[in-house]
Amino acid sequence: MADQGIHGEDDLVFRRVCALLDPLNHKGVRLTRDIDLVADLEIDSVSVLDVVMDVEDAYDISIPVNTISETKTLGELVDAIHAIKKSQG
Amino acid sequence: MSLFEKFEKTAALYNGLSEMGKNPFAVVMEEVLGPTRALIKGRETVLAGTHNYLGQTFEPKAIAAAKRALDEEGTGTTGSRFANGTFAGHKSLERALADFLGMKYCVVFSTGFVANLGAIAGLLDPAEDVVLIDADCHACIYDGCQLSGAETIRFRHNDPESLDKRLGRLDPKYKGKLVCIEGMYSMYGDIAPVKEFVEVAHRHGAYLLVDEAHSFGVYGEKGRGVAEAEGVMDKIDFYSGTFSKALAAIGGFVASNHPQAEYLRFSSRPYKFTASPSPATIASAHAALDNIAATPALRAKLWDNANRLHAALTQYGLRLAAPPAPVISVLLPTKEEAFAAWNFLIDQGVYVNMAIPPGTPGKESLLRLAVSSAHTNDDIDRLVAAYGAMAEAFPSARVAYAS
Ligand SMILES: Cc1ncc(COP(=O)(O)O)c(C=O)c1O
Repeated sequence: MADQGIHGEDDLVFRRVCALLDPLNHKGVRLTRDIDLVADLEIDSVSVLDVVMDVEDAYDISIPVNTISETKTLGELVDAIHAIKKSQG
Repeated sequence: MSLFEKFEKTAALYNGLSEMGKNPFAVVMEEVLGPTRALIKGRETVLAGTHNYLGQTFEPKAIAAAKRALDEEGTGTTGSRFANGTFAGHKSLERALADFLGMKYCVVFSTGFVANLGAIAGLLDPAEDVVLIDADCHACIYDGCQLSGAETIRFRHNDPESLDKRLGRLDPKYKGKLVCIEGMYSMYGDIAPVKEFVEVAHRHGAYLLVDEAHSFGVYGEKGRGVAEAEGVMDKIDFYSGTFSKALAAIGGFVASNHPQAEYLRFSSRPYKFTASPSPATIASAHAALDNIAATPALRAKLWDNANRLHAALTQYGLRLAAPPAPVISVLLPTKEEAFAAWNFLIDQGVYVNMAIPPGTPGKESLLRLAVSSAHTNDDIDRLVAAYGAMAEAFPSARVAYAS
């Protein structure tokens, strides 16, 4: 995988998650690592879980609900995906 | 004041509803007139948003049994099942439930919510077990997982393949694996492919828990639930249920063929540290259970009513969430329209439930009608007329609008 270790906004995982969030981003908020998924995007916690399910299927990994509840920002979510990809992939 | 700050947005929404119309989340049944009627805002209303599936709320045998228990055993047990709160009635109801289900063991809890908390948190070790749950599982299953502290993984709703993938890629470090699904899901009234889930779970060495809160008494030849209808009653590992719907009381239970289910009596904090159901509650639940077991006609009537209503709503072109079931939900695109449509129905003298995201499976809002065997022809006629008028007034509730 070419995208490991790059934790910036040109990171492939980051971009993929952004693409999955796009349909929910009704306010057109600019997606950065710092945005708070629930507060800034105004999407509910269940929708976050559903986006995560898409991420799981895209990367063939499982992201525990416990992990998701510990992530607030987009950057934290992306980092969690990287960590899980490393351990499960 | 930071303790309250987080509520302000929701409080504004909640209070706003009352200003815009009648608030579906602040309904008071001012006077209960029977199993399917009550006074709401002074008006006689047909109740189609209760879970009185088999109409047992006024069953004379259940009322008589509860009165007798009150007279003979008092108002409450004043203690938990683990300590002083187990009476002969609790034990005999456990036996009767196990027999009704054709399972060997049964543990009664104080509510269905607590039964799921108790089973899930009681079974799982946070250090070495993992739990996989259907994405649309009820809040109490989510909370049970959280309480257990074990790793929790969601799979796509009613999708055995999605479960298969997630079980397949689990780290071998996990010792115990538990899968949780429901029989009939309460929001859409859709049914789980329990047989396929049994196959997938067992192939991976996982245990399967099926919450039949809404399907107990309602599905299957003997009323044992969706697992019975699917022919796999003897294959599921844990069966959870509630007294609050078909049995029209309050309480819950977990049944199993594993003798170790009895371990919940000491491993489950929600069993040990809350008061047990009162004697009258146990007595009415037991009498209702005997009654529904002896009266399959109740189930037949429920299904007649459900089929009739589903056909009528389909005819009106309303967009329904699932095939005929005791829960019939109409989908609406927005919260605002759902709220207006709910108000429209209540003004017609019909009470149903309104559900909005994130409490719903998808992005849509819904009006949820729960059918009862006690709905009379007159009740059904009124429901059909009110929904017909609603279909006229709310084109967005119709199939034609969505497509
Ligand atoms: C699927 C499911 N499980 C459990 C419960 C909780 O049951 P109880 O009302 O007995 O706490 C409900 C009902 O709200 C439910 O829908």
